[in-house]
Formats: sequence, C-alpha cells, structure tokens
Amino acid sequence: MTLATTANAPITSLRASTLSTLGLGSPLDCFRRGRLPMTPEEAVSAVFGPPDRRGSLVISGASGIVGAGKTMQLGSRLEPFGVRVVALDMPGAPDGIGRQYPGLVRAFGRDGADRVMSNITRLTYDGKSLPPQLREFDPRFLLEAIPEILDVKRSHYEAFRAEYPDLEIRSVTSGFPARELGVGVAHPAFPHEINKMWEMVEEPGRDEPSKIPALLWALGLVPVPVADHWSFVLDVIFCGVTQAAIRYHRASNMPYWKIDKWVRKILGPNPFRAHDAIGAKGANFLTWSCLQHLGEHYGELFTPTTELVERKESGQNWYPPNHLRPMVDWELDAAEQAELRAWLVGPMVQMASLMLEEERAHPALANAIGETCAQLSHGVLALARGLGLEGSRQVVSDYHQLHPAAAEGAWFPEALTALDGPAGQQLYVNAEHDGTVGSLTLSREAYNWDVDAELNRAIDWLKAEGIERVILSGDFHLATQLVGADTAEFFPALDDEEQGYRVSHAWSTTARRLHDEFATSVAFLHGKRCLGGMLELVLHCHYVVAESSVSLGFPEITLPVVPGMEGCHWPFRRTTADHWPRLSELLFSGRPVKAALAEGWLIDRAAPLDEALASAWELATGDGIDRRPLAEGAVETSALAAAPEGAAAAAIHGTIVASLSVPLAEALEQQSRHSGRFMPSPECRGGVVGQTRNRVERV
Amino acid sequence: MSLEPMLPRPRIPYGTWGSSYFPAWQQSALAEVNIGQFAGEAAGRIYGRRKVPVSAIDYLVIGSTVPWHWKFWTAPLVSACFGRRVPGYHVEQACATGLQAVLLAGAEVQAGREVVGVVTFDRTSDSPVGVFPERRAHQRTQAIADVWDNFGFDPATSRAMIATAGNAARKYGLDRREVDELALYRHQQYFDTLESGFLDRILVPLEVLGVNGRSIGRVDADAGVRPLTAAALAAMRELDRCVTSGTQTHASDGMATLLVTSREQARALSPRPEIDVQFVAKAEVRVAPAMMPEAPAEAVKALLQRTGLSLDDIAVMKNHNPFAVNDALFAKSLGCDWRTMNRTGSPLVWGHPQGPTLTRVLIEGLEEAVDLGGGFVLVFGCAAGDVGIAALFQVSEGGN
Repeated sequence: MTLATTANAPITSLRASTLSTLGLGSPLDCFRRGRLPMTPEEAVSAVFGPPDRRGSLVISGASGIVGAGKTMQLGSRLEPFGVRVVALDMPGAPDGIGRQYPGLVRAFGRDGADRVMSNITRLTYDGKSLPPQLREFDPRFLLEAIPEILDVKRSHYEAFRAEYPDLEIRSVTSGFPARELGVGVAHPAFPHEINKMWEMVEEPGRDEPSKIPALLWALGLVPVPVADHWSFVLDVIFCGVTQAAIRYHRASNMPYWKIDKWVRKILGPNPFRAHDAIGAKGANFLTWSCLQHLGEHYGELFTPTTELVERKESGQNWYPPNHLRPMVDWELDAAEQAELRAWLVGPMVQMASLMLEEERAHPALANAIGETCAQLSHGVLALARGLGLEGSRQVVSDYHQLHPAAAEGAWFPEALTALDGPAGQQLYVNAEHDGTVGSLTLSREAYNWDVDAELNRAIDWLKAEGIERVILSGDFHLATQLVGADTAEFFPALDDEEQGYRVSHAWSTTARRLHDEFATSVAFLHGKRCLGGMLELVLHCHYVVAESSVSLGFPEITLPVVPGMEGCHWPFRRTTADHWPRLSELLFSGRPVKAALAEGWLIDRAAPLDEALASAWELATGDGIDRRPLAEGAVETSALAAAPEGAAAAAIHGTIVASLSVPLAEALEQQSRHSGRFMPSPECRGGVVGQTRNRVERV
Repeated sequence: MSLEPMLPRPRIPYGTWGSSYFPAWQQSALAEVNIGQFAGEAAGRIYGRRKVPVSAIDYLVIGSTVPWHWKFWTAPLVSACFGRRVPGYHVEQACATGLQAVLLAGAEVQAGREVVGVVTFDRTSDSPVGVFPERRAHQRTQAIADVWDNFGFDPATSRAMIATAGNAARKYGLDRREVDELALYRHQQYFDTLESGFLDRILVPLEVLGVNGRSIGRVDADAGVRPLTAAALAAMRELDRCVTSGTQTHASDGMATLLVTSREQARALSPRPEIDVQFVAKAEVRVAPAMMPEAPAEAVKALLQRTGLSLDDIAVMKNHNPFAVNDALFAKSLGCDWRTMNRTGSPLVWGHPQGPTLTRVLIEGLEEAVDLGGGFVLVFGCAAGDVGIAALFQVSEGGN
C-alpha cells in the first residue's frame, strides 16, 4: 500500500535546505516528484535557447588561468547540447587553451577532447570594440575573466551591452561586488578545470532570479548563492588565512614554508603553497587586491602587510627556490604554539563572525566553501562552533592581544550566537518532512564527528516530529558523492586502540539508529560513488536504492583499515551465503562495483535516476515491500572463503568471522574492537592513513 | 682623553643576540651546509626567539672569512634567508671579523641607519679549495685549502700562524707550565659556565635539515670540546714554544648575530630596555712580523691610552685567544692576572670558526657584564697579519 496523503503536504524543515537557495525546491520534493527539479536540457534551453536556435557562451579573457579552466569545464559540459563556446582574448595573449588539451584527453579520451576543442572558436579583439563575427555565434551568456581592474571590466561590459542588450553577463571577479561591477558574479574556485563550486551573485536590481545558477547546477556544478559583499565568502577566508599566516611571520620571523605546515596542521590549507601553485604573480596580486578592498571596509584584520605588497609587485614565490631549500628547522614550545594558534585561529573566528553578521551565505554553504575550496579541514563556522561561544571569544581576544588593531573592526561576537540555532547546528546534515515521510540529507562527502553529531540531532528531530519513515541521501547540491569516512578522524587511533574502538562504536551506533528507530528507512544514492564508511552507513537502512551508475565499494583494505561501521558483518547478515563471495570481493579487493550489478545482494534497487527517485519514494511510502531480512542471531561462517594474503586481509577476515559468530546485539562490539585493534598496527600506521597523518601533522 | 663621543653612540639592544653552538670542524651537520644560508636562517630563528621581527632590520653587515657558495650576493642573500631582503655588505678581517663587523654596523647607525643586523659565520669544515691563477708563475694555477693553507703561510712574512705564537712566547719568556695551567683553567671556566646555564642565554640549539626536509643533525653543543687534565696537557708534544694541541684552538663551524641601533630603538627592541649597551671606543694595531699574539695587548694599551681608562676600570675582559700564549702574554704585558679574564670561556676552548668568533666573545662579555651589574666590557683579539683589535663597550646596569 502506498500512502497517498503525503504527495502535496507542506514540508517542514529542521533548517532551510541549500537547494532552496537556488530556487530549486527541497530534496524531499525531488522524491515526491520522482525527478530532479530541472534537467540539463531544460536548463541549457532556458539560457541558450531551444536546440534549433542555440546561442553561444562567450568567455572573455579565455586564455588566462581562470578563463582557460572554465572554458574547459563549461565547454565539455555544453558541447553535447550543441552550445558553441567562443574564447575571446587579446591578440598576443599566451595560449592558455591549447595547454588544456592533454587534460581533456585524460578526462574524455582523444575523440571526446577533440569534440570539445572543435566546439571552441577563438576570437581576438582589441579590448575596445567587439569582433564583428561574434554576432554569428548569437552570444547568450558572457563569462568575463579579464584582469581585476574595475574600469577595464566596466568598459568591457558596456561594449557587450551595446551590442547584446539581453546578454547574461557574469564576472569571475574574486573581489568586486556586483554593485560595483554592474553585472552578476560567478566566482569560481581553483583549480578551475575541476573545482565545481561557484559563488553566485545575481545582477544588481534584478527582481527575478536568473537562470544561470540553475544552469550550472543542472550541468553538475555547484553554484552557491552569496551576498553581494566585498570578496564574498571564499576569498575572505582564503585571503584571510593567508593574511593571518603572513602576520604570524611578521611577529615570529618563522619562514613561510614552515608556517604553511602549521596552518595545514591547525586549519587545513597550505596558503603559501597554493599561491605558488596557482602562480605567485597572479595569485599574490589577487590576494592583495581582495585584502586591500577588505581592509578599506573592515580594517586591520585584512589590511595587506608590506610583505604581501612587496610580493604582489615582484611576483616572488613564498616558498624558497629549490637551491635554497630550507636548512634550519623551527621548533615551537607550548607557549609559542599557543601564540601561533591565536594568530591563526583568532582571525578565522573573527571572519566567521563577519560571515554571520552580514549573512554572506546560508551557513551550510559558507561553511562548505571553506572546506571545498580553501582546504579547511573544518569550515569557519564549524571551527567556531567547535570552539563554543566562550572559546571563540577567548581565541579572538588572545589574537587581539597580539594584534590590537584587528579589534577595531569586523568583530561581531554576538553574531556567533547564531551557531546555537538550527542553521548553525546543522551545517552538514539537514532533515525535513511532510508530516509522514522525512528526509535526512548529507552535504558533506566524508563522514566525521561533526556529521555524526548532526545526523543524531537530525534523527532526534524527526523522531520528535513523529516521523517513522525516512529517506537518507545526499543533499542534491553540495554532496555530489559520498566518499566514506574522513580518515583524519582516525589519526588519534593510530596511537591508541581505544580511540579506534570509540570512533567505530559511536559511528556504528548512529548508523544502527537508521535501522532500529524508523519503521521504514530508505537510502538513496546518486552521483558518482558511495564508498567506505558512507556505504556502511546507508546499508543500515531497510532499503538501499541507487542510480545504476553509482560506484559502490569498500576501499578500506587499500588504506588499509578494517571497515568499522559494521561493514564486516551487516551486509553478510542481509544476504544469503551464496552472495558472500561478492561481498568478500568488495572487501578484500577494494574495487568498487556499479550499483546496477549490486542489486539483490548489496542494495535493493538500481535504476536510472528518475526511476530510482520514484522507487525510493515508493519504498518510503509503501508498506512491507520485499524487505531483505537481517539475520539477528549468530551466523555460521563456514561458507566464508579463506582470507587472501596480507595482514589487513587477515584482520578484515577475522573481523567478519568474529562479528558474524555472535548475535547482532553483540556484533557491534566485536566489529569495533577488531577495527580499533588494527589501527595502531604497523600496516595501518605505515599505510595511507599513517602517511597522511605524517604529512598533515609533521611540521 | 674624554669619553664624550662626537656622534651618538650606537647601542646593542640587550638580549636580542644569539649564536649557534660552535661544533668542531667535521663533527656536526654544519659540515654539510651552505653556511651563508644557514647563518641567515639561523639569525631569523634567533631573532624570533628574542621577539625581534626581522621587519625591524633595515641593513645588514655580514662577516665571514671562508669562501662560500654565492658569497658574491653578500648581505641581501643572507637577509633573504631570514625573510627580509635588505641591503648591506660583507666584512672580512680574518679573526677580527666578528668584532669589526659590529663596529662597522655602529658606523652605519651613526650614518643614519635605524637597525643594523650583524650576522657573522664561517664553515671551516671542507674549507673551499681556492684556485688562484698566477700568470707570471711557472705554476699557472695553484689549489689551496682556504683554512689550512692560509694558517700555514703568511705570504708577507713567509711564516705560519703557529710560529707567531712560538715567537711571542720566546720574546716574553713564557713558561710551558704556566701556559698549560692557563689552558687547563680556561677549560674549567668553560665547563663551569656551561654547567651554570649562562650559555643558554646566548647559544641557540638548531636543527639542520637536509634537502629532503628531514633532520640531518641537531647542533646543540660545542662538539669536540673535552675536559683536559694537567697530566694530559703536560704529555702533549710541543709544536713550537708553549704551543701544543692542548694550548691552541681548533677549527669549528658556526654563526652569531646581534643588532646595532640607536638608544631609542634599543629600548624598543630589548626585553630589558633599562639595560643600555653602548659603543665606547676602538683601537687597532699591527705589531712586528710574525708576532701576532703580541698585537692584542698593544691594541688594548692603545685603547686605554685613548680613553684614559685603566684595567682597573674594566668589569669584563674577553680575549680571542687562539693560543693560550695570547692570554699569558697579555697578562704579562699589562700586569694583570689572566684568571680575571675570559671568565665564561673563550675560543681557545670552544673553537675558532673565524668569522663569528669575536661576535660570540662580545655577546658573552656583555651578558657577563649584565650579571655583574654593568660596567666596561673590553673585547680584543688577534688577527692574521700580526694585527690586534680592541673595542670598549659600556653596559649601564643589569644584575641577575
């Protein structure tokens, strides 16, 4: 029986979905409608016209780092729809597009790369008047990627506006607000060929939202609406962390290469390495430009230091050249480390308060931008939330002791109280319901302690709302895949078995709530992949439905770790022994399987996207549809094949046997003990997790 | 003679200085490094420890004697290694380098510079082989090891460095037993000072990295310095009059750094602004050929005459003593007790890296004066070419 009462019922949310910021409804709507809010064809037609009258995309400054990268990213996505791409630049501009060809070949094969390149027409202009032949291409959307000089940009827009009054124009500017430019903003993040995130500001004075954010979303990119403030979100954070690191250099003399390691350990990014990798000459200028504007508006927190000014002018790298590789190491005692932390974390929290005060973006989006585009291990809001209100104020106070001028502006301690509300508490997990069916949506691709806590809160909320049916999925916006556990959370376990036990036990306990506390739980998977801990999580749902092309796998053995969220027994308990060789293959090879081939023994249904969406809704609203049983007693394991060679395989095999040989109620303990025990082993410490820890934490 | 200066006296901000340890040659990771780069990076670390931002430094005087890769680029390169590329120049005056560089930095301050860094350094390990084309000679090119071949031959006198010590010992009738006793006493002074923790205020342990970013060694001791016994000293073969391997210094590697500035800037930079360390006077002499150990005594005499002071006015005396003969000769020449000088150690014990030697000597002397509550600090030493240099500093106050 399908519940008919929920089809058009109003939706109640724990907090606003990020999808709704694009005007695309909510995740629960996608299930209720059995389709995504918009298809790529619909989105392309809305911007470029119908197939028989397709206009073109023009990218000006297409030979630059940003322009060339975005020519590739958008060109490869628009070519199948017959949208021509015009790459416009000045005569004599270095060829940035030709250099992209090898990357295109790697991504799409030679034929695919040739198709993308053939669809790009390069035109030159003198910077003042547009080339007459441009009209033949019927421009509909201009992405401007010319140098960061306001007057030059404005005259560029005027030239286009004069010829093409209805043209959609977006600037890739990293600093100027739309109100200064007079056009909308689509600010992308490095590396431009592959980073899907774009900060979006609509054209000033526009009443209706444009079709551009939906176009990018439908093409598989991640548009993020941000408020029209100087430098938006990403460059406040990225330039801000760079500035904080430079200021610490000023205070301590610590060389930039060494500060970079500390910033990576404490916050996540390597700001100086990133500048050098992007190209110090351009990156130094852009960082200076952003900070210069921010400094004018918000004061000393952002005002560029003389070191940055000098490097802006010289284009000098921050890391020493190879022939002057660092020779003297820097050790910090506890007091020095505390001071360093204040210099770095204080400004980040201060910036978090600015984000909240000015409502620069939906909190989940503002937080995600930092993680996705600025390499923060925890977004600025998650960082401040983790410190707590008092802790946040204290670290900013410590920072202001060291840098009193920073206290004179851009510090809004009261704004941090917003982190206590649902929007601040649920940065990674949201929940909504229509009175009968609820949805749990993950917007972080890797599971960590924050996600775990938020998932528990979201489940609590749904339970309190009386919801007994739930669909667990990505958020159709930020999370385009679910990659597994955030292995950084395993670092403490490499030295302490109990820490490994703790993480495995706690996260498994959360996962079990999906099974134990709902009458019906459905996991819905789409996007590229669902792996490791995320797959273990979703397998706890009563049903798992996936888009056929999704890759499913347990790559833990390649790290190696022992799957800790009951992956070593739960899927075995849900299928018959004749399917165990397939599960063993997944666990012992680490190779993924396409969802279409996993139906019946790992997941319940695999189908094309719209069909899978409808199926998930059908299962969530249905009653007693073909639920694969879960063996709750001890399970005979003689049918299990012997373990392949190797310590990790032996550990995984041992975990399977131990956790299957006891009743379900005891299996979690067995699984967690085994998982935790393997973490401090030489194999794990010497593997990917251990090496990553060394790279991140060795300063 | 009045002590009133014609120009404002330069100052050394107390507590902003530092030195690496001086490990004996080939006995530490410093044998592996480009010493100019090391000195620059180490200076940045030392200033960091002392809470002095390198952004405060607007000029740099560097001092070294042994050629090093890229020495052509002098102070801007060394300062680039501590993170702020400033103008400046290179000073070289054999073993007087470490003091001469400080004095020249003082002249720069008097000429209007705000804060002048002094970074002195040398790596005697694997001292470079110099090739000197001599177009008139039968041997068109000649390879020399910079340290050892120069020690062995003064082209002006055709004598070796060690011979100057023997010559001086003979001239002054020095006694081998007294010189041995002096060397033993100097070692005891050093180890007592080391034990007291005094050197922890000056010497900064430094981890040295290889090209792969991994440590290749920690420089945290004056490696190669060992306690001596009277018997062992007495048993040593005399290489020249009163000169044995126990009564002469050894080659070592290292760096030292301090700042020279105005009184106002010194107050701003020093963790103890009430302590005023100022330049007073300098003297420099040359003595008879191959009589180098006599030169410091003559320089001090000239300095005392110029300032109107006597040794009784001096709180701290520090002599660069590559040979124990130097100290014995000085005491005999000026009628003082050698036990009252070099109280915290001296190059005779902790080695002879040339460029930074007298900088460390000076820093030790200033720290000692602060412990004593202030006073005049007399720093002097010999240098190749039978030269002696002496300089007088005044520490206003201090105390532990």
